Amino acid sequence: MSLRARVALLLCLLFPVAAQNLKEFEKRVTEFALPNGLRFLLLERHEAPVVSFHTYVNAGSVDDPSSETGLAHMFEHMAFKGTDRIGTRNYREEAEALEAVERAYDQLEAEQAKGPPAARIEALQDQVRAAIAQAQSYVEPNAYPRIIEQNGGVGLNANTGEDSTEYFYSLPANRIELWFLLESQRLFHPVFREFYKERDVVREERRMRVESSPEGKLMEMLLATAFAAHPYRQPTAGWASDLERLRAKEAREFFLRYYVPANITIGIAGDVDPREARRLAGQYFAPLPARPLPPPLPTVEPPQEGQKRVQVETSSQPFLAIVYKRPGQNHKDDPVFDVLSGILDQGRTGILYKELVRDQRIALSASASATFPAGRYPNLFLIYVVPNARHSVEENEKACYDILDRLKREPVAADALARVKTALRASLIRQLDSNAGMAVQLTFYRVNYGDWRKLFLGLEDIGRVTAGDLQRVVRQYFVESARTVAYTSAPKGEGK
Amino acid sequence: MRRFWLPLAVTLAALGQETELRFPPLGPVTIPKVETFTLGNGLRVYLLENHELPLVSGLALVRTGNLFDPPDKVGLATLTGVVMRSGGTAAKTGDQLDEELENVAASVESSIGETAGEVSFSALRENTGAVLEIFRDVLGGPRFRQDKIDLATTQLRSEIARRNDDAEALGAREFAETVYSKDTPYGWRIEYGTLARIRRDDLVAFHRRHFFPANILLAVYGDFAAPEMKARLEALFGGWDAVQPPVPPFPPVRGKPHPGVFLAAKDDVTQTVFSVGHLGGLLRDPDEPALEIMANILGGGFSSRLFLRLRTQLGWAYDIGAEWGAAYDHPGLFQVSGSTRSSSTTETIQVVLQELDRIRSAEVTGQELETAKEAALNGFVFHFDRPAKTLSRLLRYQYYGYPKDFIFQYRKAIEAVTKADVLRVARQYLRPQDFTIVAVGHPAEFGKPLSTLGLPLHPIDLTIPEPAAK
Repeated sequence: MSLRARVALLLCLLFPVAAQNLKEFEKRVTEFALPNGLRFLLLERHEAPVVSFHTYVNAGSVDDPSSETGLAHMFEHMAFKGTDRIGTRNYREEAEALEAVERAYDQLEAEQAKGPPAARIEALQDQVRAAIAQAQSYVEPNAYPRIIEQNGGVGLNANTGEDSTEYFYSLPANRIELWFLLESQRLFHPVFREFYKERDVVREERRMRVESSPEGKLMEMLLATAFAAHPYRQPTAGWASDLERLRAKEAREFFLRYYVPANITIGIAGDVDPREARRLAGQYFAPLPARPLPPPLPTVEPPQEGQKRVQVETSSQPFLAIVYKRPGQNHKDDPVFDVLSGILDQGRTGILYKELVRDQRIALSASASATFPAGRYPNLFLIYVVPNARHSVEENEKACYDILDRLKREPVAADALARVKTALRASLIRQLDSNAGMAVQLTFYRVNYGDWRKLFLGLEDIGRVTAGDLQRVVRQYFVESARTVAYTSAPKGEGK
Repeated sequence: MRRFWLPLAVTLAALGQETELRFPPLGPVTIPKVETFTLGNGLRVYLLENHELPLVSGLALVRTGNLFDPPDKVGLATLTGVVMRSGGTAAKTGDQLDEELENVAASVESSIGETAGEVSFSALRENTGAVLEIFRDVLGGPRFRQDKIDLATTQLRSEIARRNDDAEALGAREFAETVYSKDTPYGWRIEYGTLARIRRDDLVAFHRRHFFPANILLAVYGDFAAPEMKARLEALFGGWDAVQPPVPPFPPVRGKPHPGVFLAAKDDVTQTVFSVGHLGGLLRDPDEPALEIMANILGGGFSSRLFLRLRTQLGWAYDIGAEWGAAYDHPGLFQVSGSTRSSSTTETIQVVLQELDRIRSAEVTGQELETAKEAALNGFVFHFDRPAKTLSRLLRYQYYGYPKDFIFQYRKAIEAVTKADVLRVARQYLRPQDFTIVAVGHPAEFGKPLSTLGLPLHPIDLTIPEPAAK
C-alpha cells in the first residue's frame, strides 16, 4: 500500500482515536471541587511511583493594576518565600518587622510625592534599609524550596502568563502528602518576606528576557502597539518604572483578590490513589475560606482603525512579526485558526517553510502561532520571520502577504488539510505518557473551556474544519486594517 | 525484571515539631528488560516493548562527530547530518520524504553533534513498516542532492551572521572555545570560509566513512512485538554490507589553561552574561559524585550558596548556577554562570570568586551536605519514571563504554560522599589560578571596571570574517 493510500486509512483509524482515548481516560480521571470552590483533577498513571502537581491560578498579568504592571509575576516569586511556619525563625517578631518595613516605605513614598526639595529622602531611605535588615534577621532563607529539593522534587518552577499563573513540580509518589501540606500552606499563609530584594531579582529577570534580548524588545513593542486598550498590551515582566516601585502591600492585595479557592484548579497526574488524594485535599485545603471570585476584566479592545507599524532599533540582525486581530478562544472560529497555523507552519510541509525558507531562501525560519500572547480574550494571530542574511524585512513581509492573498483566492489543498488534522491528532497521542504534561493539559482545558474533555473533543471541532472555513477566516480577519507589523532594524547611521 | 526500593523516607524537621509527616515506603520501581542482539554485519540492536501508546520510535547512535571535521572544512559533519535527511534517498527526494512522513504524522531526523551522530524516527504503530524503510534509507543511503546542500549552507551562513546577537549564546560559545582552546577541534567554529570549501563529494565521503553497520547502535522503543521487530530489522538491515576500518578515537582534549578575563563588548544590553571556570572531568572519575555534590552546594538550585548570596540576599542576579559538567568521554566544562545588571558586573564576579574560594577553604555544613545528597537520592526514582529512559541510558553507556549498572554505582557513590570528600575534591579539582572568566556586556556601564579584578584582560574580537566574494 502506498503512503498516499495509507493517509485515507489513517484518517479512518484516527477519527475514533479521540473518542477511544477519551473513554479510556475517563476511567482514570477523577474531578472534584471542595465546598470552598477549589477544584482538583486527578489522572491515574501507575507506570512509575512518581507524581506531578500543577496549580493553575486563573489570574495573570492582564489582572495587573495599570500602574502596577509586573505584579502578578512579582507575586509568583513571593510564593517561594515560605509561610508563617516555613522560612522564619520567629514569626511573631518577623511579622512586626515586616510591618515596620511597610511603614518606613509609606513615609518615604509620601515624602517623594511632595516633590523637590528632597531633603529628608536619604534619611528615609536609610530607615527603609534598616527596617529591611531587621526583618531579614528572622528569615531562614529559601527554606520552602529547600524542603522540596531535599525530598527529591524535580522540575520545581512557576510561570506567569497573561491569563494565568502556574506552579508545578514532581515528587516521588510516597511524598504526596508533602505537596498537600506545602501547597496549602502557601495558599493559606504566604508571607511577603524579602519582597524588596526579590523585586530587584525580578527587575534582573526583565533585563535578561526583554532589555538584553532583541526579540524580547520586539515582542514587548509589538503588543504595546497592537493593543490600544486591552491589558494584553502590558508586559508580563512589567514596565521597568512600575516594577521598581511595587510594594509588598500591593502584592498582598493582589493575592487576596485573585488567589481565591474558586479561582484555582489543581492537576495531579501519576501514581496517585484518588480516594487518598480526596482525603488529603479535604484535610489540607478545605479549611481555606471561600471568597468571592474577582470581577471580570471590564476593558474591551476597541476595533482597530488601520494598520499599525513599529520599528525597534537594535544592532542585531533583523526580525519580523506580523499580527492580525482575532477573537478569543471560545469563539467558533478558534479551531479554524488552529488549522490555519498548521497549514502555515506544520513541520517542513507548512507553506511558510516551503516558500520562504526552502524555495525562495529569504528566511532562516518562518512560523505561525494561532494564539498570541494568550487566548482568553480577543488576541492575535502571529507570523514570525527570521530573515536570512542579505534578505530584507520588506522582502519577507511581501512574501507573507503574497501567501495570505493566495489563501484568500484559492482553497487549501485537501491533502494539506488532512495532513494538518492528522498532525494535531497525533500530537495529542504523543503527550499522553507525560505526567507533568497531562497535569498541565487537564487544568488548562478545565479552566479555559469548562471541561477537561475538550482536550480530546476539541479534535472533533478540528476535524470539521473545511477548506471553505479557512478561506472565509483568512478573508475576514487577515485584512490590512487589523494588522500590526513590528520589526527590528539597525540604528540609523550604523546600518550597512 | 529487577526491582529496587528507595531508602525509607524521613520526617520533616524544617516544619517544626507539630508537623511530622511520615512517608510510606516508595512503591517498587520496575526496570524494564531490554532485549539486545547483533546482526551478522555488526549492527547492534536494543529493543524495548511498551504498549501504553500506539507509537513506535527509534534512534541510531553512530560513532562520528564534528571533532572529525578537517580543519579547513569545519562544518562538514554538521552539514552532512542535516543533508542526510533533507537531501533525500535514492527512491525519494527530501521534499517527497517531508510529505510522505507528515501525511502520517511521522518523522525521520538526522544530525551530527560533537561526539555522536543521531538518526531518529517516530511513527504511529500502523505506519511503522513504511517509516522504518525511510529511516533505513536515510541512515544508509542518503543522496545528498545539491539543492539541499545549498539550502543548508545558506542557513548556516545566516546563523554565522547572527551568532553575536544573543548575549547568552555568545558567552557560552566563547567560554567553551576559550577553555578548550580555539586551535583544537573542541574550539573550532564554522566560518564562511570553511563552509565555502565543502563540496558534495566531501559529504558523501564523510557519510561513507562513518555510517556502516558495525559503527551503529540501534534502539527501537514502543508498541511492537519484539520477535516481529527483530525479524523486520534483520530483513531491513541484514543485507547492509558496508565495511570500513574502525573509527579512530576522538582527539584528546589538550589541558592548557587560559586564565584571565575575556570581554565581549555589546552596546545593546543592560545586563552582563558571565561564566567562570575551567576544564571539568569525566563522568566515570571516582571523584565525580563528590564533585557533583560540591557543585550543587555551590550553585545547584534554590538551596545553593550562589543562589542564596547573589539572588536572595543581594538581588543582583536572576540567573545564577554552577555545574561540574562532567562528560562521558572527555573532560567537560566546570563553570559558574549567570547574569547581572551592567553596573554590578565586577562585584558579582567578585562574589563568585569568593564563593569558589570559600568552598575550597572549609568544609560545607552538615545541612548543606544532607540537602544535596537527599535531593539526589530521593530524586533517584526520576531516572526511571519512563521506560524509554532506561533504554536511552543503556545505549549511551554502551556507546561510551560504561558499565550497564553505572547508574547504581553512581547512587552508591553519592551515598558515601562526606563533608571531607567535598572539601578534598574542591581543593584538588578547582584551580583559581586557571579560571577563565568570560563576560559579555556593555563595559561603559560597568560600575567598577573589570580591571579591578587584577587579572589579565583580553578583549574578544567579535568581527565575523567576511565571506569571500563570489
